[in-house]
Amino acid sequence: MVIALKALSKNKFKTTLIFISMVISIMAIFLISAIADGVVGMYSAMLKTDGDIVVTQKGVADTFFSDINRSIGQSIAKIQGVKSISSLVLGAAPVNKLPIVGIYGVSQNRFNSYKLKSGHYPKAGEVLLGYKIYQTLNQPSFVNISKKIFRVSGTFESKIGFEDGGVVMNIDEAGDIFHKNASILLVSVKNIQDGLSITKKINAISNEIEAKTADSFIDSYNQFKIIKTSSDVISILALTMGVIGIVSMMSMVVNDRKAEFGIMRSIGLSSWGIINELLIETIIIAIVAYIVAFGASELVLDLIKQVDKFQGYINGEITFALALKVGIVSLLMALLGAFMPAIYASRIDPMSLIQRGES
Amino acid sequence: MTIEANDLEHYYGTELILKGISLSIKSDSFTVIVGESGSGKTTLLSVLSTLLRPTSGSIRYDDKNIYNIDNIDIFRRNSIGFVFQFHYLISYLSLRENISLAVLDKYKHSVDPLMNQLGISHLTKRYSDEVSGGERQRAAIARALINRPKIVFADEPTGNLDTKNAIGVYELFRQFRNEGIGFVVASHDKKILEYADCIIEMEDGHVKQITQR
Repeated sequence: MVIALKALSKNKFKTTLIFISMVISIMAIFLISAIADGVVGMYSAMLKTDGDIVVTQKGVADTFFSDINRSIGQSIAKIQGVKSISSLVLGAAPVNKLPIVGIYGVSQNRFNSYKLKSGHYPKAGEVLLGYKIYQTLNQPSFVNISKKIFRVSGTFESKIGFEDGGVVMNIDEAGDIFHKNASILLVSVKNIQDGLSITKKINAISNEIEAKTADSFIDSYNQFKIIKTSSDVISILALTMGVIGIVSMMSMVVNDRKAEFGIMRSIGLSSWGIINELLIETIIIAIVAYIVAFGASELVLDLIKQVDKFQGYINGEITFALALKVGIVSLLMALLGAFMPAIYASRIDPMSLIQRGES
Repeated sequence: MTIEANDLEHYYGTELILKGISLSIKSDSFTVIVGESGSGKTTLLSVLSTLLRPTSGSIRYDDKNIYNIDNIDIFRRNSIGFVFQFHYLISYLSLRENISLAVLDKYKHSVDPLMNQLGISHLTKRYSDEVSGGERQRAAIARALINRPKIVFADEPTGNLDTKNAIGVYELFRQFRNEGIGFVVASHDKKILEYADCIIEMEDGHVKQITQR
């Protein structure tokens, strides 16, 4: 360990380059994963609020394009075990200077899921603004949505970025804007154990709708799959770039230190001893790079949250599971990157290493 | 221990450096390999000491073919020491850390006494660029001797030293040879011949003559 630290200190320039390469790669993985998880997490949380079962138009992949008749809720309400049903129109439209904002038309019984910060829940011709968008629009009294003027009835606060940066209104008015009766129905059940059987009963009501438990809906939602797949692909690319960066730099390090490794071999350090030495050095860099990347990523995510332009929609969070996953990936990156150059260094005749290295 | 080389040949690229060398060396002797530059001294020393695998031929240590030994690194660590023309101390380690780099557990306690014996006990925390050439070579010798090897190979160990320091190194070799450690030294310096039990004269990749004393 002491020897590894001294070796790293001796080769400051290349150590720094490996370190920077690793920090950037690890940060890329942290940020893309945290942002993707954040988007999925926010939307999932929104759906799960009073929604054990999600009902959409059958065969429509995106909730934004779903169009169902909310009168079907009356039949659903008769199913034993159903506690409540709320209807939502989900859409996006320009609001004042902002080019695109999430609009949530909700039935009266869902209003109380929005925690009022000021004012009252919206009546006809009124909207409730998330606190983030209220601040971004400089605390307006009226807003223009799709060429219609609405009075701001109050504000609410939500930890869900999509809601905090969105507009809530009565479902009928949202239906007029987006030309639909409802996008989805959220069904709350008395006993979650009955969720699956109630889902089957809802599906039996009409062949134009599709009901899924919230977890099943989230697992199968195409938009989430696209986001997660994109995030995974970018993470793998970042990992690959990190590994290639380490391989390149470690190859140069090994080349510079051939004589040193030759000496180590000649005095009896084994090939595995040399490999071990290089791996320890790289792991030390990886641990420090991970800590720095973690801190820097937290800072960047916090800065992103403060940027008005993003309206709170980008709300990444580094969870313990993500930190653990990226920690393992960082170690893997270090080991993969250092292994090939280390193997190369350990397999050459010591005398060749000494003669080809620096004196 | 006896080291036996049989029909050694070694190429660097297409150039044949060792041309069918066979010889026998006793590990408790002071053997000197002499010859002009390019005669193959260093290559022979590297092959005999297991650092370089010859293109063909065999090396036996006490009838044991070294290429059949399971772990040559461990064998080298336990049985062989090396001293090079350039000290090849690792620059970012102190002299003591250099000497301790591959020390066996049973000899860890010997580092300080050995440094004392070699007259460098006051330099334990110094780095190689903070001491004289003679002191560096003494540290390199200490590193070669720390595991009490049966034999030490030295390639031009005094090539960078003045006469006084060179004689100091030879005297150290003689002192440790008297303690039972053998030396095989490749050198241009004729003064070392005074210390030799056996002289191997190399010429153009061949052994020209072996003189026993």
